[in-house]
Amino acid sequence: MKLTSLRVEQFRQFRQPAEVRDLQPGINLFTGPNESGKSTLVRAIRAAFLERFKSSSVDDLQPWGDSAAAPSVELEFEWQGERWHLNKSFLRHKRCDLQVGSRAFNGEEAEEQLSALLGYGFPGRGASRAENWGIPGLLWVEQGSGQELNEAVSYAGDHLQSALGGSLGELASSAGDELINAVERERNKLRTAGTGRPTGDLARANQQAEELQQRQRELQEKSAAYRQQVDRLGSLLRDREQDQARPWEAFRQQAAEAQQRFHEVQGWLDEQRREQESLQQIEQHYELCQQHLQASLRLQGQLILRQQAAEQTGRTVQTKQAEEKPLQEQLDRAREACQLAREQLSVARRQAQRRALLAELAALEQRLSEADQKLEQARDYQQQLLHLREQHQALALDEAQLQRLRQLVSELERVQIMREAVATRLRYELLPGQSFTLGEEVLSGEAERLLLSPVSIEIQGLGRLQISPGGEDLVELDLRQQQLLDDQASVCGLLRVSSLAEAVQRADQGSRLTEDIARLELRLEQVAPEGMGPLSDTLALGAISRSHLLQQIELIPEELLEAGLTLEQAEERQQQAIQALNEADRAVSEHRIEASSCIQKLHSAQDELQRLQEEINAPDRQERERALQAQLVQLQADQQRLMQALAQRQQQIENARPDILAQDIQRLNDSAKALEEAANQRSLEIARLQSSLEALGAQGLDEELAIVGQELAAAHKRQSELTRRAEALELLLNLLKNKRHALTQRLQAPLQRHLNRYLQLLFPQAQLSVNDQLIPTQLLRMVNGVAQYGEVDALSFGAREQMGLISRLAYADLLQEAGKPTLIILDDALVHSDQSRLAQMKRVLFDAAQRHQILLFTCHPENWRDLGVVPRDIESLQVKG
Amino acid sequence: MARILHTADWQIGRQYSRFASEDAVALSEARFSVVERIASLANEEHVDLILVAGDVFDAQMVSDRTIRRLFNATQGFSGRWIMLPGNHDAALAESVWSRATRMGAVPENVTLMLEPGVWVDRHLGISVLAAPLTQRQTYQDLTEWFDTAETAPDLLRVGLAHGSVQGLLAEDIDSPNPIAADRAQRANLDYLALGDWHGLKQINERTFYSGTPEPERFKDNGAGQVLLVDIESPGQPPKVQSRHVGQYHWLQWSEVLSVATDVDRLLESIAALPVNAVLNLSLRGQVDLSSQQRLLEALAVAEARHRSVQCDLANLRLEPTEDDIAALKADGYVSEVISDLRQQESEVARDALVILAGLLREKNQEHLA
Repeated sequence: MKLTSLRVEQFRQFRQPAEVRDLQPGINLFTGPNESGKSTLVRAIRAAFLERFKSSSVDDLQPWGDSAAAPSVELEFEWQGERWHLNKSFLRHKRCDLQVGSRAFNGEEAEEQLSALLGYGFPGRGASRAENWGIPGLLWVEQGSGQELNEAVSYAGDHLQSALGGSLGELASSAGDELINAVERERNKLRTAGTGRPTGDLARANQQAEELQQRQRELQEKSAAYRQQVDRLGSLLRDREQDQARPWEAFRQQAAEAQQRFHEVQGWLDEQRREQESLQQIEQHYELCQQHLQASLRLQGQLILRQQAAEQTGRTVQTKQAEEKPLQEQLDRAREACQLAREQLSVARRQAQRRALLAELAALEQRLSEADQKLEQARDYQQQLLHLREQHQALALDEAQLQRLRQLVSELERVQIMREAVATRLRYELLPGQSFTLGEEVLSGEAERLLLSPVSIEIQGLGRLQISPGGEDLVELDLRQQQLLDDQASVCGLLRVSSLAEAVQRADQGSRLTEDIARLELRLEQVAPEGMGPLSDTLALGAISRSHLLQQIELIPEELLEAGLTLEQAEERQQQAIQALNEADRAVSEHRIEASSCIQKLHSAQDELQRLQEEINAPDRQERERALQAQLVQLQADQQRLMQALAQRQQQIENARPDILAQDIQRLNDSAKALEEAANQRSLEIARLQSSLEALGAQGLDEELAIVGQELAAAHKRQSELTRRAEALELLLNLLKNKRHALTQRLQAPLQRHLNRYLQLLFPQAQLSVNDQLIPTQLLRMVNGVAQYGEVDALSFGAREQMGLISRLAYADLLQEAGKPTLIILDDALVHSDQSRLAQMKRVLFDAAQRHQILLFTCHPENWRDLGVVPRDIESLQVKG
Repeated sequence: MARILHTADWQIGRQYSRFASEDAVALSEARFSVVERIASLANEEHVDLILVAGDVFDAQMVSDRTIRRLFNATQGFSGRWIMLPGNHDAALAESVWSRATRMGAVPENVTLMLEPGVWVDRHLGISVLAAPLTQRQTYQDLTEWFDTAETAPDLLRVGLAHGSVQGLLAEDIDSPNPIAADRAQRANLDYLALGDWHGLKQINERTFYSGTPEPERFKDNGAGQVLLVDIESPGQPPKVQSRHVGQYHWLQWSEVLSVATDVDRLLESIAALPVNAVLNLSLRGQVDLSSQQRLLEALAVAEARHRSVQCDLANLRLEPTEDDIAALKADGYVSEVISDLRQQESEVARDALVILAGLLREKNQEHLA
């Protein structure tokens, strides 16, 4: 499809007619600033195709504020060798004329032609909306919506599928989706979509079958119970016939006979009991006689025993008496030993005290001698100190006076120097042998003299020279010197020294003495810290203590003790002695108690012996014994007789077996009772069963069971039919879905190819995958040799716009291959792309323009200079005049 | 000279689980109406005595109403009915018979032979030796005492029993309730009327199974008839003839279909069936889509027309022809689905194809409309 010309009039920005001619098959670039009419042209093309000419909701097409305008668009394009000429005007003059080659169409018919050709729809009413746009919505990109692809694709989906259907031959199905929906609906009536659980009729059929089966089981159980009861009744009835003969009567008769026999045996048993009683009496009597005889024999025996016991006790008494003497002796010895030990302990204690006093005395003597020594030394130190203090006294100098003397001497020296400095200096160097007299003094040789006062020099042979030194200072200095000398003499007198040197020497001697005194005082302090008084006191008190000690020692004489015996040993010995004494004492007293108890026993044994002897010798005893012997013989004979009788009776009873007889009675009576009872029970059960069976029989169980069985068979049949249908539907649904999916994949393949072709120009080796709806979803790029996946939706705005454009171009290729017209309109596209991407995208666009006509509108002409086409300025489109 | 009507195995109260409930009710009902027809036949044929040789009732526990209806149905014939308990309605301690007696439902002219014994009617000149079942099953021959039973020599000696004749019926080697095949001869019977076998069967000159008067199985063994037995005098051989009394024709057809004309022929045969047919149709082979369509439609019509038409198509393969497929006007992947389904062998695939064809046909019709 190639748009060749476009003309608008009374259309938004263009109140006056504007016209574009000679549109080229490839890229057509329109430039102009904002508000110059670019978007108006785009809107005009969209309106020409997408808006109903009759629509009254398109007043945005009118120039602003001109409600009387009749916006019109006239355009011409070529398609498959034919020229299509469309003239459409809105609002004021609603009209649509289409000339296709030699055929002409008007109004809605013209509009249907166009929509079928380009693949879009019209709204029911009002202005065209995105969902109506179909393929133009995909290929005609509005300003700022290049990145939004999903909606456009979904709205174009049907048109794409049907447009592409042709190119894919028989693969697409005209009714597939409808069919899938129908099958799914049918399937969902029987099984749930999610889990495949039975629902609807199938669930009901299952439920019914279940319920019927349950009912059938119940009925079968009842029916079986019924049959069982019938059988039971039959056997009971047969048994009852036998009951007519009253078989329990025979048992009753037998029981009565057994009872009679049992009574007879009871009589024997009574007789036996009586005989046994008299036998028992005889035996008791016999026993008594024997006891009497035995008592007499026992007395004799006791007498012998008593005699032996008395003799034994007598011997014991003698032994005890013999044992007493050694015990007494042992006691005496122990007493003596105890006395000795006590004495020795006393001596040992005294000697120990004496030794302690002697040791104390020795220590006292030691202390006294030390104190005496210290006192002596202290006195000596005291003497020396006195002496040194006297010396120190003699040498003592007043320190202030000494200081003054020092000052005076130094002042004198200073005055002397000053005098010498002021004095007239007389230097002489005489020839040998020559001399002169200075004052009184004869001088020769070579020397110098200071002349402090007028003097006369007399030189032999020459006369006299009078020399008077000049200056008053000299006189003053003389006076000062004289005063100082006087003071010096006075101080020396006070200090009793001749000179300063002597004074200093004396001061040194004094300080040495002071040190000696200090040393001595220290020693004295050590010897007698508290002075000599306490020392003397100590000595006096020590003397008193010593005399006391001596007196005490005097009182304790020195005694001799067993060699090496200590005080502790002595104490131990005494303890042992006391213990031994106690033991001996106890032994003696115990022995005495035993001896007296033996004597007591002896007395009682002798008494008992006496009594027994008297009893044995009683006079009637012999006679009594004889009578007893005779009675015993008689009793033995009676016993023999009775025992024989009893043995015979026992045999008789045993032969009759009274226990078994009792059992027989019990058994026969019970049997009779049981038989009668069973017969009664049977009668009752028969009655019960008969009424129960009558009631059950009236229910027509077998008939109902048969009916339920029939219903169940029907339910099972329905169940299996529905299950089969559900399975068939499931299979059909899966097959349809799979085939549809496979088809979609076949549709995707060519789109994929076109996509990748463009994508290579932007990102080498990249791949863009599309989903079932043919929408690009995932971008695979190679970054430094590593594959990176990214969702298209997550890309930057610019990148999404680029992907969007690439996809649209790929759709265009796809449509073209399917023999569909393609026209691409880009209004201010790719404004968010950077320079390098834009450069690549231009290569993409140029490549697409080899196959498609592209109208590109922009307000940035500088970005698009290298597209190889001459831009058209929108403002120049106005038709002049 | 006596004329006896011999019937058996009425199986009153039987239900038919394999049929649709409506059909089952009608078939169940037919068991009552056949008794009425027997009664009127007995009148028409001047019958002296009707012998029912066991299994009057299908079960012991039938409803009171069923019992009353049965005895009511006999009242078209005022002569003597002699009924014998069979294995389904054995004379147990408590049985359908004891209930019927208790209810007072047994009419005066109906005699129940609940215990072994001889029934004598001097006026008719007949003595009937009856061997009822008093247990559900027994393994001894209950007719053995016939041999020694004494009857007046001037009376006809007729046996009445229910069970399997030994050695004659293929499956009865160990079957319960045995009856010696030569019982009529050994017991010197003029006629032995037997029940239990549902088809009409002659055992020997004097021994017959009458079969059930109303068929209830697809076995083609002469069910649906009663026997009229004429005996001149004791010792003379009986003259036995059958009469049809059944209402429904039970038919079982097994057909192989391979080409479209087979279907046509089958449909013609079905159309020619009487209305009271109970048809069980089992089809094998293959049909194309349009034939299948025709077949299903014709079967739907037949089901409405006849008592019952049951058709087993499990072994009939659907083989759509190219024309069938073209008629569906399926394009794109839907046609791929069709060819996939055609290649699959399974039953579920065939069902799926039928569903798909149905949906497509519907859609095409919508388009035409």
